[in-house]
Amino acid sequence: MSDNLISVNNVSVNFDYQENFISKKQKIHAVNNINIQIKKGSFFGLVGESGSGKTTLGRAILGANKISSGNVIFHDDDRNYDLTNMNKQDLKEYRKKAQLIFQDPYAALSPRMTVRDIIAEPLEVMKITNSRQETDEKVRDIAAKCRLNIEHLRRFPHAFSGGQRQRISIARALVSNPKFIVADESVAALDVSIQADILNLLKQLQSELNLTYLFISHDLSVVAHVCDVVAVMYLGHIVEMGPSRELFKNPKHSYTKALLSSIPSIDPEKRSEAIELKGEIPSALNPPSGCAFRTRCPNPGVDCKGGDIKMGLTEVEPGHWVDECCVI
Amino acid sequence: MSHLLEVKNLDVKFDTDEGRITAVENISLSVDQGEVLGIVGESGSGKSVTAKSIMKLNPGNTSYNEDAEIILDNENVLQFTSKQDLKKIRGGKVSMIFQEPMASFAPAIKIGVQMVEQLLIHKNINKDEAKSISINMLKRVGIADAEKRFNQYAFELSGGMRQRAMIAMALSTMPKLLLADEPTTALDVTIQAQVINLIKDIIKEYQMGVIFITHDLGVIAQVADHVAVMYLGSVVEKGPVNDILKNPKHPYTKGLLAALPDINNLDEPLKPIPGNIPSPLDRPTGCVFRTRCPHHNPEGKDGKIKMKLIEIESGHWVDQCGIKCGQHE
Repeated sequence: MSDNLISVNNVSVNFDYQENFISKKQKIHAVNNINIQIKKGSFFGLVGESGSGKTTLGRAILGANKISSGNVIFHDDDRNYDLTNMNKQDLKEYRKKAQLIFQDPYAALSPRMTVRDIIAEPLEVMKITNSRQETDEKVRDIAAKCRLNIEHLRRFPHAFSGGQRQRISIARALVSNPKFIVADESVAALDVSIQADILNLLKQLQSELNLTYLFISHDLSVVAHVCDVVAVMYLGHIVEMGPSRELFKNPKHSYTKALLSSIPSIDPEKRSEAIELKGEIPSALNPPSGCAFRTRCPNPGVDCKGGDIKMGLTEVEPGHWVDECCVI
Repeated sequence: MSHLLEVKNLDVKFDTDEGRITAVENISLSVDQGEVLGIVGESGSGKSVTAKSIMKLNPGNTSYNEDAEIILDNENVLQFTSKQDLKKIRGGKVSMIFQEPMASFAPAIKIGVQMVEQLLIHKNINKDEAKSISINMLKRVGIADAEKRFNQYAFELSGGMRQRAMIAMALSTMPKLLLADEPTTALDVTIQAQVINLIKDIIKEYQMGVIFITHDLGVIAQVADHVAVMYLGSVVEKGPVNDILKNPKHPYTKGLLAALPDINNLDEPLKPIPGNIPSPLDRPTGCVFRTRCPHHNPEGKDGKIKMKLIEIESGHWVDQCGIKCGQHE
C-alpha cells in the first residue's frame, strides 16, 4: 500500500483556442508536465498568481478537466483509480471520494434551496442513503461537525453571513464522506477574522475525518500557516516545491522569493522591501521558451535569458525541489 | 490649521423595508493634504458608506443627521444639492478608485473616450488637450503603449492594467482628495505591490489627500499615515499607523491583528474573533463590539457604556469601553 493518496504523473492540460472561426486553432498550455505526490493526511498547498494554472490542475485531479497527457492515480484502500482511464461506474465512485469546496460562498449555494436540501443533495444524487431518515441523520451529523446550528437547517442561504455560508459549503462537500478535498481559494472571499475560523475548522475536520487536502490559494501567509507541503506554480509549471516551513524560510526560486517579498508587511516601519516584478504573467498561448519565468526574472543568468535551459525540478535538499534554471 | 477634509459627527441611515438601518454612527475624521488615511474593518463595517457620503453617492433612501458636517475645502458637501455643486465634488475635487475596475469602466466604450469625456466635463479644455493629458497620465501610471491602450476597451486589458487605467482616469482631473475603495483587493500580490508603490509615488508627486479603504492590515501598514478602525458603523480606534498596529488598545483591533496569518510567526495559532458581526438591524446598544468582545467588562457587556472616543496619547483615540476591556488582558 502506498503512502500517497494522489499521484500526479507528467500531467499536462491543454485547451483548444480559436480566436474566431477563420483563424488557426491554437493550443493553450494551461498545465505543463506536472508531477506531484500528495501524501495521505497531508495539507498540500498550491500557490501562484491568477493564470498560473492552479485551478486547472485542481480540477484535473478531480476529473473535472480532461487531462491531455500523463495520468492521475487515486490510491484508495483496496484499489487504485486511474483517472485517465476510468469507466462511468468508477467515476461515480471517485466522485464520492473526492470533493471540491469553492471560493465564493455566495455563488456556490442555490438561493432557492434550504440549507438542509443543499447539504443533502450530494447524498441523494449519488444514492448514498436509502431513506429520508438516514439522509437527515447524516446531514445533522455533518452540520454539527461543521459547527452549524441544527435549527438553521430549515433556513435559506440568504439568511447567513459569509463565514456561515462557507461552513455550509464545507458540510456539503463532506457529507458523502470523501477522503480527498480540493479547496479552491476557499477563504479568499472572507474577512480575516472569519478566515482564521474557517482555516481552524478545516484543520480540525482533517484530523477528525482523516481528510487529505489540496489547498489552492494565492495568499502565501495563509498557505504557510496551514499547509505541510507547498508547490509554487507559474504559467502552468511548478517552479518550486517542498515542506512549507523549509520552503518559506529558505526559498530558492526567484519567483518564490519575489512572491514572498510582495506580501505587505504588517510593520509600518518595514515599508517596501518588495522585489518588484516587472510586468505581468505572460499569456499561456505564447509562453516563453525555456524557463517560463525568464521574462520577469529580476536576476536572470546568461543561459536562461536566452531560453536555452529546459524546465525541470531538481532536488536541492530532501523533499525540496527547485526548477533547474534557478538552481544554477 | 484647516484640514483638506473634515468629517464631523456623521450618521448615515438607510430606510429599508425591514426598518431604518444605522450604517454609520457618529464618525469624525480628518485628512490633510498629502496624507493617507487608512480605514480598516470587516465587511459591513461602514467603510464604503463613509467614503461614498463624501461624494454624496449613497442611494436615495439615505438620510444624514442634521448636525453632521463634511467640510471639503471649506465647503459643507452635505449642503450640496444642485447638479452644479455635486459635479464639483464628483470627479472634480474628489475622485474615487473602486475595487473591481472591470465593473467601473463601461464595457462598450473605449477607455480613451471615457477618460476624455470626464476631463471635458470637469476642465475647461478642448478634446485634443484632453487626449494628450489622458495619454500622459496613462504613461505616468506605467502603462506601456499608452497610445494603443487609449483606443482599447476595458476587457482587452489585464486586471493590473485595468486598475492602472482606473487610477490614471481618477487622477487626470487632478482631484484634491482621492478615495480608494479596496483598490488592490482583486489583484495578485505581485501586482498589488506595484499598484501600492504607484499610489504612494503619485500622492507624493501631487500632494493630494487620500482615504484608503481596505480590510488588509498589511496594506494599511504599507500606505497609511493615520488609521481609523471601524466596526459596525463606528470608529472604535484611530491614530497614527505605528500606534495602531504596534500598540493597539481596542480589543477589536487586537482581534484583527491576532487573526491575521503572519508568515514570520508560523507557530502562533490563528485566533478568530468569536461570533459573527451582528446585523445592522439589531445593532447593539452601548459599545457595538460588546457581543463579540472576549473581555467581560460588566458595564460594557450590559451596554451601559456609551461609545465615545478618548484620546489616550497624542493623536491616538480609543473608544472608552474598549480602553477598559483592553486593560483586562
